Amino acid sequence: MFSADLFTSFIQYVVLGLMLGGVYALAAMGLALLFGVANLINFAHGEYIMLAMYMTYVVSLGFIQDPVLSPIVTVPVFFLIGVLTYLGVFKRLVTAPPLSQIAATVGILVLLRNLALTIWAAEPKAPPYTVFATSVSLGPLTIPLDKLVATVVSIAALLILYFFLERSRLGVAMRAAADDVEAVSLMGVDTNRLFLVTTGISMALVGLSGSLVMTFQAVTPTSGLLFGLLTWAIVALAGLGTVRGILVSAIIFGVADSLASGIWDPRGREIFLYGLFILILWVRPKGLFGRR
Amino acid sequence: MRRGLVFPVTAGAFAAVLPLTLGLNDYYVFLVTLIMLYTTIVVAWQLIGGLGGQLDLGAGAYHGLGAILTGYLMVYHGISGWVGLIVGGVAAAGVAFIIGYPSFRFGIREVWYALSSLALVLILQKIFLLWTDVAGPLERYIPYAEFDPIFMRSGYKTFYYYVTLALLAVTFIIVHQVRRNKLGLYLQSIRDNEEAAEMLGVDVRKYKLLALMVYSFIAALTGGIYASMVGFYHPILFDSWISIQTVTLSIAGGLGSFWGPPITSIILLTVQEYLRITLGAVIIGLHQVIFGVILIFIILFKPDGLGPLLDTVALRLGLISKASKRA
Repeated sequence: MFSADLFTSFIQYVVLGLMLGGVYALAAMGLALLFGVANLINFAHGEYIMLAMYMTYVVSLGFIQDPVLSPIVTVPVFFLIGVLTYLGVFKRLVTAPPLSQIAATVGILVLLRNLALTIWAAEPKAPPYTVFATSVSLGPLTIPLDKLVATVVSIAALLILYFFLERSRLGVAMRAAADDVEAVSLMGVDTNRLFLVTTGISMALVGLSGSLVMTFQAVTPTSGLLFGLLTWAIVALAGLGTVRGILVSAIIFGVADSLASGIWDPRGREIFLYGLFILILWVRPKGLFGRR
Repeated sequence: MRRGLVFPVTAGAFAAVLPLTLGLNDYYVFLVTLIMLYTTIVVAWQLIGGLGGQLDLGAGAYHGLGAILTGYLMVYHGISGWVGLIVGGVAAAGVAFIIGYPSFRFGIREVWYALSSLALVLILQKIFLLWTDVAGPLERYIPYAEFDPIFMRSGYKTFYYYVTLALLAVTFIIVHQVRRNKLGLYLQSIRDNEEAAEMLGVDVRKYKLLALMVYSFIAALTGGIYASMVGFYHPILFDSWISIQTVTLSIAGGLGSFWGPPITSIILLTVQEYLRITLGAVIIGLHQVIFGVILIFIILFKPDGLGPLLDTVALRLGLISKASKRA
């Protein structure tokens, strides 16, 4: 039976889901970039996002006040964390078999997750409210401003990344490396440096998305697991293709997430999302826009 | 006595009298039993992971399923835990089949297999969290009995110690037998090169599925024993940490090595429990930070794990035979 109320709330959840999708796309982009360009499996991606969320908490509690401004700190710091991770761990893993990559990054996962538990304990932590923590009404719909800001910044960052990959020399080298590392290396590109920069950019994106997520969410040491699986699911659906592919599949997951928690039960959203993930693997192992 | 039996028999004899050396202190016996339960999962994981090369992160799902079903039958139907163990084991093997069959059918491997098995842990956890008739958000307590071996409930932890010891021994024997016969060779061929194995006529899907089901059955038994020992169950027992711990200990111990993973597991878990007792009260989680660092170092500087090292030492000392060093 058709009900106007139900329809409105359905549209409301779809709109919220679209916005969530924009943020998820940014969160997954770093993972897709690292996996696509350097062929590195980062099992600890979610844990890095969690770390970025905690850093946002600390920074905005300490001296910036508003979490919206925290990327000023988290982005450069995470670029540096990326560089250090590459030099310390990933550099040795580039040519290693997938199993070793998974094992070593699971080690990082264990380390980061428990480091967070050690430092911040298990209770959820949230930064102070941003000035955008209100909402505007748009006809029958309610648009939360904090989520809107997060979405707009995410999409803007993805656009910049898109033009970087399309236009700049480094971006072209990255895309070429995604297709054929050996050929790129023969063309005189220093792949070691290329992967170093890729890891840095991947982590800078993680830093930004962690900050944006924190504007409307709290963080616990297990947040990493949730974001890890979610971002891997998005990459699975997108199939390692392009920025556009990641955006489309992130929006599908964002809408699915929003509808599942809005119309069914917030506790059941993970059943829905991860069930979708497993189904995607079964039905479309190469993803929607797959290249490999 | 055959040389190959010296080490297992010595270790078994030591394990058999261990509770007495601990003065039957319930707390210490509990900790040792816990270490042995997790080691049992590590040994069983060798079937799918060490031999078959599939990085399965579903241990927490099967462990949790065994715990919940055993506990549920004990609490609501007064059915003995022994029956519950079998029911849990069969259910876990069933779930493993339902998930494993399409996964192997569609050729899901490496990181994707690892992720989908990890997703299974969280899916089951949430399903049972929402299923309030069976598990729900509250802990369910198993009726207390001072000593009731038929119901599989005991106030003395030593009881669970010997149950776990028996399970560990049986698991060792199963894995050892699998390694020696054709199934083990098939699994190793899949691990080393799946395409080549398939081309040579190995039924890849069937053997992977078989290994997965045996492993999930054993993991469910550890869950049932755990629930009865701690006296309650809760969906939190679908614990992704058990999955991660199992895989990390196995890799640190050396994939494909027979004694490496269990010995590494016993050593590292003992260190972990010791650190938990001494440091855990001061700084929560610190012991596992150390754990993570150890793992990263092992993978980076000793990618084969500690297994080959331990095997060589054991061989030199004449504790094991050459046969069990194979692969």
